[in-house]
Amino acid sequence: MTAESMPADDPRRVLSDMRALAHRVRLDRRMTWGALLILAAVTLAAVPFDWFFMKVQCLPDGSCTFSRRGMLFYWPLASLLAYAAITYIYLRAARARGLSARVLPYAITGAATTVLFPTAWAAMSVYLSSHPVPEGPLPYWWFALDRLIMPWGVIGLSLLVLAGLERNVLLLVFTVGYLALVVLALPMNFGFGPPHWGIRLGLAVPQLIAGAVLLLGAAGFRVAARRRR
Amino acid sequence: MTTVTGTPEEDAAHPVTGLDEVVHQRVRLGILTITHEARRVEFGYLRTHLELTAGNLSKHLSVLEEAGLIEIEKGYEGRRARTWITLTAAGRAALTEEIGRLKQLIARVENTHPPEDR
Repeated sequence: MTAESMPADDPRRVLSDMRALAHRVRLDRRMTWGALLILAAVTLAAVPFDWFFMKVQCLPDGSCTFSRRGMLFYWPLASLLAYAAITYIYLRAARARGLSARVLPYAITGAATTVLFPTAWAAMSVYLSSHPVPEGPLPYWWFALDRLIMPWGVIGLSLLVLAGLERNVLLLVFTVGYLALVVLALPMNFGFGPPHWGIRLGLAVPQLIAGAVLLLGAAGFRVAARRRR
Repeated sequence: MTTVTGTPEEDAAHPVTGLDEVVHQRVRLGILTITHEARRVEFGYLRTHLELTAGNLSKHLSVLEEAGLIEIEKGYEGRRARTWITLTAAGRAALTEEIGRLKQLIARVENTHPPEDR
């Protein structure tokens, strides 16, 4: 762009230049990799909490029940710290680049979704204390909804908000893939693996996979950001 | 420059006649665009991305500030002097209007000279 007056027959180019400048600002304000790295860290750090604070009771007939109290105490605090850290790095990075950050709606969404998991857990506990556990296999959508309001699903929901705020199509694609993985593919709520793995390992593996996906996403967005500069 | 012919009524309403000379200048339009997207932007960022000297940028900022389209805030971050630019409500309105005029201009040129004729 030059300091000369714009030729009147060039409005198309002027609009295109304006769009390019606005896009540049959006790119410079992003810290997607940082957000994904923090979310990967809290996801992976949750695994030992779940492992050591899980109560497993096995009956003589071989059936077992488990209670994931550790998750209930870990995730609200970890989420709050994570969203505070994400807000901080966005503000810091934007300020260092000479821009203002636009992350407050994301931080508010993150903080609001933090209460979703314990609230849903408490509501389900109250419901089951006065109603019998439904007999027969539960419908698939029930499991999907359960996984969506679990911390790993909620991370995906908050990433959707971030993708919208940043107008970041790549993050949107990544988040849709991540949500499909943790809601539709990975059995985050009852674990998986061969019987000899046991309940703890069976529940740890999906969390490790979710954490690894977030970590890979962080690495990918970091590489993309470095290439852009 | 493209000459657009039409009836006197059409000429009177030609989008070019409504363009604001303060806004309708490449650098100033760039400043307004960046500030609109960023909400608040530092002097150095504008200088780098618009590829201007500090003196040249300052002149354009003064024009926009005098027109009430931006606000300039000077301060320090640690020992480093910083100048922050914010778009005013009038600046936002002027930018929106300018974009509208440019779009009208494009539509008018396309209607007068369909792509296959050019």
